[in-house]
Amino acid sequence: MNDLTPKKERSGLAKWSRRGFIGAGVLAGGGLLIGVAVRSGNPIGALAPKVAAGEGEQLVNAWVKIDTDNVVTAIVPHCEMGQGAHSVLAQMLAEELDADWSQVRVQQAPTDGSYIVTDTARQFLAPFTMNAADWIEPTWDGLFTQIGRMADVLITGGSSSIRSTGQYQMRVAGAAARKMLVGAAADEWGVPANEIETRDSTLIHAGSGKSATYAQFASAAAEQPMDQSPPLKTTDQYKLIGKSKARKDIPGKVDGTAKFGIDAAPEGVSFSYAASVRPPVPGTRVASMDASKAKEMSGVLQILNMGDFVAVVADSYWQAQQALNRVDVTWTESESAIKTSEDQFTAYRAAMDDAGADGGDEAASKGDFAGAFEGAATKIEAEYKVPYLAHAPMEPINCTAMVQDGKCDVWTSTQVPLMVRTELSSALGIDKGDITVHHPYLGGSFGRRLEGVYAVMAARVAQATGYPIKSIWSREEDTQKALYRPAEISRFKGGLDESGALVAYDNIFTQRNDPAEASVPGIYSIPNTKVRVAEAPLHLPFAAWRSVDHSQHGFFIESFIDEAAFEANADPYEYRLAMLKDAPRQAAVLKKVAENSDWGAELPQGRAKGIAIVESFGTIVAQVIEVDMSAGKPKLENVWAVCDAGYVVNPDGFRNQIEGGIVFGLTAAMYGELDLVEGGIKQSNFHDYKMLRIDEAPNIMVDIINSGDVPTGGAGEPGLPPAAPALANAIFAATGKRLRELPLAKQFA
Amino acid sequence: MRNNAILAAGLLTAALAACGSSEPEPVVEQIVVREPGEPMPVATDEVMAGGKIDRVALGEEVFQQCTGCHNADPGGPNMAGPNLHGIVGKAAGTNPDYPYSEAMASSGLTWDFATLDRFLANPAAYVEGTSMVAGAVRDGEERAAIVAYLASTSE
Repeated sequence: MNDLTPKKERSGLAKWSRRGFIGAGVLAGGGLLIGVAVRSGNPIGALAPKVAAGEGEQLVNAWVKIDTDNVVTAIVPHCEMGQGAHSVLAQMLAEELDADWSQVRVQQAPTDGSYIVTDTARQFLAPFTMNAADWIEPTWDGLFTQIGRMADVLITGGSSSIRSTGQYQMRVAGAAARKMLVGAAADEWGVPANEIETRDSTLIHAGSGKSATYAQFASAAAEQPMDQSPPLKTTDQYKLIGKSKARKDIPGKVDGTAKFGIDAAPEGVSFSYAASVRPPVPGTRVASMDASKAKEMSGVLQILNMGDFVAVVADSYWQAQQALNRVDVTWTESESAIKTSEDQFTAYRAAMDDAGADGGDEAASKGDFAGAFEGAATKIEAEYKVPYLAHAPMEPINCTAMVQDGKCDVWTSTQVPLMVRTELSSALGIDKGDITVHHPYLGGSFGRRLEGVYAVMAARVAQATGYPIKSIWSREEDTQKALYRPAEISRFKGGLDESGALVAYDNIFTQRNDPAEASVPGIYSIPNTKVRVAEAPLHLPFAAWRSVDHSQHGFFIESFIDEAAFEANADPYEYRLAMLKDAPRQAAVLKKVAENSDWGAELPQGRAKGIAIVESFGTIVAQVIEVDMSAGKPKLENVWAVCDAGYVVNPDGFRNQIEGGIVFGLTAAMYGELDLVEGGIKQSNFHDYKMLRIDEAPNIMVDIINSGDVPTGGAGEPGLPPAAPALANAIFAATGKRLRELPLAKQFA
Repeated sequence: MRNNAILAAGLLTAALAACGSSEPEPVVEQIVVREPGEPMPVATDEVMAGGKIDRVALGEEVFQQCTGCHNADPGGPNMAGPNLHGIVGKAAGTNPDYPYSEAMASSGLTWDFATLDRFLANPAAYVEGTSMVAGAVRDGEERAAIVAYLASTSE
């Protein structure tokens, strides 16, 4: 497959010019760029000008460049939305490269289709193959590269950056680059490669006393053959992985120099501002607009009826928004039968009623539920309900767009830059090759910026006006006109045997997105299990929302398990532990959280603890939440979390993500709710779509178990799913009141 | 456990769906008021003279500069400053749900065109000790328009 690897060809290759080598490598069909989908006709030579600053810089491979100052730059394909992926990916590359961390920089990969996150594609398409040892894909014609290219998979999501791109690409790239540098030095010095040591971006040969910086051999290294599967370090060899290295993106975020999408001020581009309003009800359009008042207002440049939205362009954002507020727009009628939240829940119940005891699509099944339930000593049933949720990222939705001379440039915060490019191409009638998506930092996203609509709207306005515009959505517009975590109802039936053990488990719900395993209580030993989906219409458009389906099923499943424990007259921790007898990692996590939280200890009057465990995105997280109900409403006191993500690369960054996930999950559990009124969303801004405030936030203690030689898990999402059930279970323990609906706070108002 | 999970997950399905090419949607209506950099077509004098726009409508527009602290909708919330719906004709400092300064509460003023005009021109000078430390409106025409607008909410 790779005809560059055999040593006998090295002498020939070494004579080739860098340019020739590159061409020959691609023609020979081998992967020159590790982890990058290299298309024929789009080889490293075409990429180089986009990531190399100048003549003095050498591109060793697509994920790493080394310049003449011996600065190592990690070129990362994922976006930075506060999760810290940029810096941690660089940390993984630097580990294998033995780079001097103080001289490592991070650069966002260009969005031109050459960088495709094949590993992420596989994560979403076929997660079951993720753990295979032969996973690395050095060729450019692999199935997943093809699919990835077609689907524009330059995605940051699914808690995947570290466990896919980091593990399978950045580390491999670092190791391969190191090997090439060593090979180049060995050739030059005439010494065996295995006698050359590397540390702090330096090559050292102790025997001859020779040493050199990586930069000195960067050019020569580019002509070395690339090992398709270089050996990676083992945990005992780590110098950077497992250390809380300070994130490279933080200083700029503290001193204000970091640039987010909304800060875009491209040099030489003079732009006006646009404000826009979309229909309040999904699927409807602009029927007519009366702009007579708006066009008299100061600063206004243009007022546009775009068919699916209305926009005002003005000298400033404020003027645009104020004028927009005075455009009278009438909208077409919605054909959806769902007008209110109750209509939505009625549709769900109808679908589940129709499915009956056996119907619906089977999501998972084991044993004989019907028989086991029939023979159960105790039977329990429960129905849980959660509302629609918005992402409410702090940075407003925005896009700066310029469409001129048949070319389009946009600057926007997005998790899916290539998908944005494709959507722009369709909407503008401009070739993808003439579209550039610049994507600076994201000021929060949580799944919100996995769509391209706002960039397309901005570019269509820029195309219509003929001059650059910066489009900013009002908070109200983002709260009411986005994509949403679906509302859901989930029904359970459980059968307990004489000993109280859960022997029959049936669950039916209506919305299935991903991950596919979210609804499956796979960690527990329950002999007879059935999980079913009765599909029902969803009024608001779907969005992945931090932890996606786990955000609902974590609450459903872990509440129901708690109900079974109560019915069995068992301690909820002991009850779960007994069901984890075939799941040693999960059991260890649960034991540790019980130990850390001093589970079972006496508590003051009104206080109680609840427990939950959810495995999501490859990481097992158990939480104990202590709540104080003595004031008649929940006060969050303490959260103990224990996580097993295999091996944590940056413990501080990991803890930050788990803490963030917990706070995000508790916000949803306490307050998160969007109501449908007349087919649209009632809530509009932070005053009625509340966030958990600092004075309400509990103490959070995160502990990490590195169980080592298992696939690496994610960090961004897994902290969230156990939070809501652990809290609801704590409230039950304190009050005897079982809360089967979210949000919780209003139930104590 | 048998897992019938579909392989293609939502995100990627969505991404694939987005690839379907469609014709660019035409603009339905485009009103060009002016080009960037050009002066406003409506002369300020004309507006202020009340020729083109009535004072209440202008006042509602000018009032936007007050909405950082005030709301004038019926039943709207008190913010940093009190709700001003129907304020004209009322005694100063008497909204029961708003924590006025001692100075305002004991001012003995009744809000009419004259008192509001003087107060808005320089709040701290007119009611010494008021908590309205920002938001003075220097332009007399703008003040008049604001008061006209506020008065319209009393009707």
